[in-house]
Amino acid sequence: MSDNGFEPRILAFCCNWCSYAGADLAGVSRMQMPPNLRVIRVMCSGRVSPEWVIKALSSGMDGVMVLGCHIGDCHYIDGNHRTKKRFVLLAKLLGAMGINPDRLLLDWVSASEGAKFQNVVTKFVERVKELGPSSIGVA
Amino acid sequence: MIEKVRQLIGDLLNNGEAEAVLALASEHGNVQPYLYKKGDSLDNLALWPKYSMGPILKSIQVASPDMKLGVVARGCDDRALVELAKRNQVNLDNVKIIGLACTADEAKECVCAHPYPRSIDVGEKVAGVESTDDLAKLNSQDYDERLQFWKDAFSKCIKCYGCRNGCPLCICEDCVLEDDAWVKAGEIPPPFPIFHLIRAYHLSDKCVECGECQSSCPMDIPLTSLYSLIRGEFKELFDYMPGADIDRKSPLATSLEQEPIREGTA
Repeated sequence: MSDNGFEPRILAFCCNWCSYAGADLAGVSRMQMPPNLRVIRVMCSGRVSPEWVIKALSSGMDGVMVLGCHIGDCHYIDGNHRTKKRFVLLAKLLGAMGINPDRLLLDWVSASEGAKFQNVVTKFVERVKELGPSSIGVA
Repeated sequence: MIEKVRQLIGDLLNNGEAEAVLALASEHGNVQPYLYKKGDSLDNLALWPKYSMGPILKSIQVASPDMKLGVVARGCDDRALVELAKRNQVNLDNVKIIGLACTADEAKECVCAHPYPRSIDVGEKVAGVESTDDLAKLNSQDYDERLQFWKDAFSKCIKCYGCRNGCPLCICEDCVLEDDAWVKAGEIPPPFPIFHLIRAYHLSDKCVECGECQSSCPMDIPLTSLYSLIRGEFKELFDYMPGADIDRKSPLATSLEQEPIREGTA
């Protein structure tokens, strides 16, 4: 546990069919997790444009999570295939620009995986705490 | 070399394979695109400096969709035509490409890694020129140093949109970089890294390393270094090179079954 007093601001994009329901399950099951998260619900993780993530990171978010259904379980069959390709690529592009790709997380959380949601969020908040505040949007 | 091109253009026009051939002409010391028709003198034909032929061919086809055309294309033009054809911007069925391989000096001037078209009609294939000093420096830097390098470089940006306007593959009719949601009008320099990172992402599966962005840039921002890095990452992930194969769709437009991510790279 890092304890530098820094509380990161994290944005999470959750898909309507799996991850948002997973987050809901974690909530109603009263699972404890850090409160650093703001969640935006999208119909599919494939709806998340890389532009959104870039804008979030340069507008002061310290980390961005994109959560979708497991590969093969997508409500729109292969929406999350594109998500995977896009964000694997975007992570590389962030690296090329000098932005630590650890500030971006892509993971799959199904509707029944409340505990996994808790685990993913806790770990990611911890990881971003280690990285410290983002200096991306600062001149 | 130029004599051979003259002869090939003349052949295409005379045997009716093309009604007109797009190439460059030098007039009063200015080199510009010219559409040669049958009977036109080829005395003013020029090959250098290079000029991006893809967008010109596109505008000719918009005006005359059924015209049988020829085009003198260098490696970068050829790749741009392939990518434009994949995106239904040009129709290559009616187009004869005269492939022109660049000389070693020309490749050096452009810092071009692939200075030859898919099929070479004129000239000899020479080895590409790989890396610039900036690129070598960037590759040895950690994230913070790199971020500072790009912050400094892009702080010079005057948002003239030259990189976008010069790019043969920037084909969107409504550009997100003119949308207030991402880039506010009237702010100079444009927000870092939104402006350049969005453009880089959009070009990641299309960039044909023609270098037009950097030669258009009045502030000498080392854009080709950024796009070299990005092309390298894209190739590593998907084993895909824009412009190499007209039958292969962009990996970003297909599912994981059709175009998987290479193992160990993600």
